[in-house]
Amino acid sequence: MTNGRSSKKYDVIVIGAGHNGLTTAAFLAGRGRKVIVLEQRDVLGGLACSEEFHPGYRSPGVLHDTSSVRHGLIKSLNLASHGLSLDPEPPAIHAPVKDGNGLSLHHDAQKAAREIAKHSEHDAERYSEYRAFVDRVRGFVNGVFDESPPGLGTIDARTFWPVMKKGLGFRRLGKHDAVELFRIIPMSLADWLDEWFETDRLKTLLAAPAIRGAFVGPRSPGSAINLLLWECRKGPSVKGGPGALVTALEAAAGGAGAKIRTSARVKEIGISEGKVTGVTLDDGETIDGAVVAASVDPKTIFLKLLPVAAITEKFAQRIANYRAKGTTAKVDIALRQKIEVGGNAGSSVEYVRTGENLTQVEKAFDAVKYRLCSSTPVLDVCIPSASNRDFAPDGGSSLSVLVQYAPYDLEDGWGDRQRELLGQRVVETLADNIPGVKESVVGLRVLTPADLESHYGTSGGHPYHGDHAVDQLFVRPSPECARHTTPIGGLFLCGSGSFPGGGITCAPGALGARAILKHS
Amino acid sequence: MPKTYDAIIVGGGHNGLVCAAYLAKAGKKVLVLEKQHVLGGAASTDEPFPGFKFSLYSYVVSLFRPHIIRELDLPSHGLEIIPLECSFLPLPDGDSLCRWADPNLTRREIARFSQKDAEVYPEFGMAMMKMAYFVKRIIDAPAPDPLSNSPAELINLLRLGRYLSSFGPDVMYQQFKMLTMSAVDFLDEWFESDILKAPMSVSGIIGTFLGVRSPGTAYVLLHHYMGEIDGAFRAWGFAKGGTGGVSLACGSAARAFGAEIRTKAKVEKFIIKNGSCDGVVLENGEEIHAQSVFSCLDPHRTFFKMAGEEHFDDDFIRQLKRYKLRGSSGKVNLAVDRFPDFSCRPGDGAHVRGDIAIAPSIDYLERAYDEAKYGDFSRRPYINVVIPSLVDPSVAPPGKHVVSCFVQYAPYDIKEGPEHWPERKEAFGDAVVDTLAEYCPTLKDSILYRQIHTPWDMERDIGLTEGNIFQGELSLEQLLFLRPAVGWSRYRTPLKNLWVCGSAAHPGGGLMGSPGELAAKTYLGSLKGPQ
Repeated sequence: MTNGRSSKKYDVIVIGAGHNGLTTAAFLAGRGRKVIVLEQRDVLGGLACSEEFHPGYRSPGVLHDTSSVRHGLIKSLNLASHGLSLDPEPPAIHAPVKDGNGLSLHHDAQKAAREIAKHSEHDAERYSEYRAFVDRVRGFVNGVFDESPPGLGTIDARTFWPVMKKGLGFRRLGKHDAVELFRIIPMSLADWLDEWFETDRLKTLLAAPAIRGAFVGPRSPGSAINLLLWECRKGPSVKGGPGALVTALEAAAGGAGAKIRTSARVKEIGISEGKVTGVTLDDGETIDGAVVAASVDPKTIFLKLLPVAAITEKFAQRIANYRAKGTTAKVDIALRQKIEVGGNAGSSVEYVRTGENLTQVEKAFDAVKYRLCSSTPVLDVCIPSASNRDFAPDGGSSLSVLVQYAPYDLEDGWGDRQRELLGQRVVETLADNIPGVKESVVGLRVLTPADLESHYGTSGGHPYHGDHAVDQLFVRPSPECARHTTPIGGLFLCGSGSFPGGGITCAPGALGARAILKHS
Repeated sequence: MPKTYDAIIVGGGHNGLVCAAYLAKAGKKVLVLEKQHVLGGAASTDEPFPGFKFSLYSYVVSLFRPHIIRELDLPSHGLEIIPLECSFLPLPDGDSLCRWADPNLTRREIARFSQKDAEVYPEFGMAMMKMAYFVKRIIDAPAPDPLSNSPAELINLLRLGRYLSSFGPDVMYQQFKMLTMSAVDFLDEWFESDILKAPMSVSGIIGTFLGVRSPGTAYVLLHHYMGEIDGAFRAWGFAKGGTGGVSLACGSAARAFGAEIRTKAKVEKFIIKNGSCDGVVLENGEEIHAQSVFSCLDPHRTFFKMAGEEHFDDDFIRQLKRYKLRGSSGKVNLAVDRFPDFSCRPGDGAHVRGDIAIAPSIDYLERAYDEAKYGDFSRRPYINVVIPSLVDPSVAPPGKHVVSCFVQYAPYDIKEGPEHWPERKEAFGDAVVDTLAEYCPTLKDSILYRQIHTPWDMERDIGLTEGNIFQGELSLEQLLFLRPAVGWSRYRTPLKNLWVCGSAAHPGGGLMGSPGELAAKTYLGSLKGPQ
């Protein structure tokens, strides 16, 4: 790039400053590329952005769980030197029950088993076996999802060996575990969890993270793999939550020389002769660059930001068919008081999951099939203020609630009244599980899937930029761009809509950066 | 001890009879034992009411492998298949959709609902056919085993991989998606009209305890494009004289090759001595000995009831215990005194000489599934109706008709407990007749006799555990080398001289004949080569 005619010419333009876009920027800037990151909002972080939603109260981010972030990336970006620190181990998760103490699932397998034994001896023993199974397959599973997948039908000398190596790794697991892995892929959460456990409360608690990513209920085949992936990735989480991760990534990218601009919405990606030339912003400003790394969702990239003629009809059809209708709503709640979970006064419970049994969860799912909201939603609650005073004023609490299920295309359309009703249902469900919540609410922010789309730009309001269904997990978002490259020269994917998918892992950002280093 | 037979086949269903025919053809001395008074198991015809012949359970022929028909020369044993002329979807608003054998007529019909869908429909058919060829290679051979360490097996796998990849990345991608997507999601990629998608999606759920929106149901859509009759790809038909006609032809072929077949011969137990299956004991105490025993019963019957858990290791038993059967369908057969006229398209024209689907919308089908999920039969079920007496007058007295209704969902495990099915049975029959009468107002008054088969009845009458018509869910974790248990998908069992040859073996349920054929061929191969 010696013939740059203006200072506005960059090696790489990253669209979107979520955790993945920033990861890509930090990697590429660290390798000497001249990088600019363009964020449409006036703050960084996207779905991982910590925001004040009520005076004095902050949310951790739309997504609140950082226990899946890939630790290898944190090390290689040296995020510790940019202020990032990890909690020594993943936090315990609490499942309240009416008129009882509920179930607290500690990350430590032995502690968890002791707690489970209070409910079922059988399950305590099985839980230890379950965790041992996860420990045995973790290396293989993460190995598959930490590298770009092989292309379909393009087995050549270069891709053959990695596939062969994975194949050998699979066989090395031994017959029992290999069969188990194979079996899990098409199975439903309910069938798989029923094989392990008998305690309803334990099963719903474990199922929670796996139903969020796709249009599935616990009885939908193909949902079990999401649980296994989550279990395999789970590790220590980031102190301060997603917001702290974003701050560290920003510092790492900026420190390496990347330029980061907010309130810079990309209107179009410029193309000439099938190659990227740069981007045009909303205000007409043009920024030149031979490489564009897009961390926004695939439908936005290919169907909105590119000129129609830039891609073939077949490819456009595939992207249109990519399933990305969110079923998750986000509710942030400001409470006047500290809350008490499961009678554990004074203890700092940070995660709570509701749902009495899998049938109840399945019924909550049924609604969304008919474009309705669940009347008894299932809640995944994070209470960041339990351990961190930045999130709520003294004496108060901040609750971050991911709600299943709320449809993107609500039958009657999303209006203020529907939004309010959703908020009420969430508060009531919470109050059933945590006494005293209802009286203590001072502020509420409800983000429906439609709001997630309009505020954060994610098509269909999908928090993972597309369903984590088996076909969309392994070939994401389509065969043409399953390996982060696209049919357009210089255009790369680096967001949750690319392999290996959504959640706060930073893995798509890192794999996108790797693809760029390899191909440009 | 003298062995009276080379092989005893337990169960005279179509798979058992195909297996018997192949063994007898190879010169083996074979005995088939069937507990019912008619042959066929789930593929049988009976005359429960004078003059009316019902295909008791299975009602159309589509998947039966054509090479089996050729190799056993079934037409000369009376097999005759009459193609269905139409797939007819009556709608509640008085409209209807007919998909005919003639593509031009079909296009015009579909265009009434969506011009775009009418144009895409033939393209879809072509794409599906291509994919059906892709799967045929897997269905017509024993399941490949990716966990085996034998070099022959690895070479087999590599060959299969090369064959599959020769279809090119597009077909492979489609195939991969089909294996895991829901029928509705898959059809959404092609079509826009609910009225076309709903009747198409049902082929993904037949016999399974899943809804049209459940992932994994798209794959079964392919089965619709795999049927071959007389070499005509994608044809469906009625067997002359009812579905039992297929079984009777197989039985006749087996007899012609020298096999002995006994009905009303209920096997009570296998004879197991020194870790080897030596024969069977009948209900009346009679002992019959044989070199080998072939069971075409489902795994629960074969291993738990007939053999006994104690003969198998823990891992095998654990696998069988988690093997899902979960019957989800029922059958209502009606004998009527006049032609059942559909108000949306009156008359007994070609539109009713095929299958008639009560599947007016995707939400309708999904709601039917939701009711079943929580332990009840669907109040407004999916019904697949055929009126075989229109094309085969031999099954009903002149002027009268047989109306066969395949119904989903009727879960085995209703919330009152499966043993309460007898009390719920009539209510279930009423729900079916009431639903059908909405489209066919004269139906109720024309019913002479009504026969209702719930999953509970199917378990009791024909021995299908939990009334599962496929002897086990056709979900991916129960197919290929995992059916019925890891390491035992090749028709052998851990018990010496005991073989399986029914729908619970690869490639699974449906009126295919493949498990019976492949079991026989595998067994005959093992006699030749060193094992």
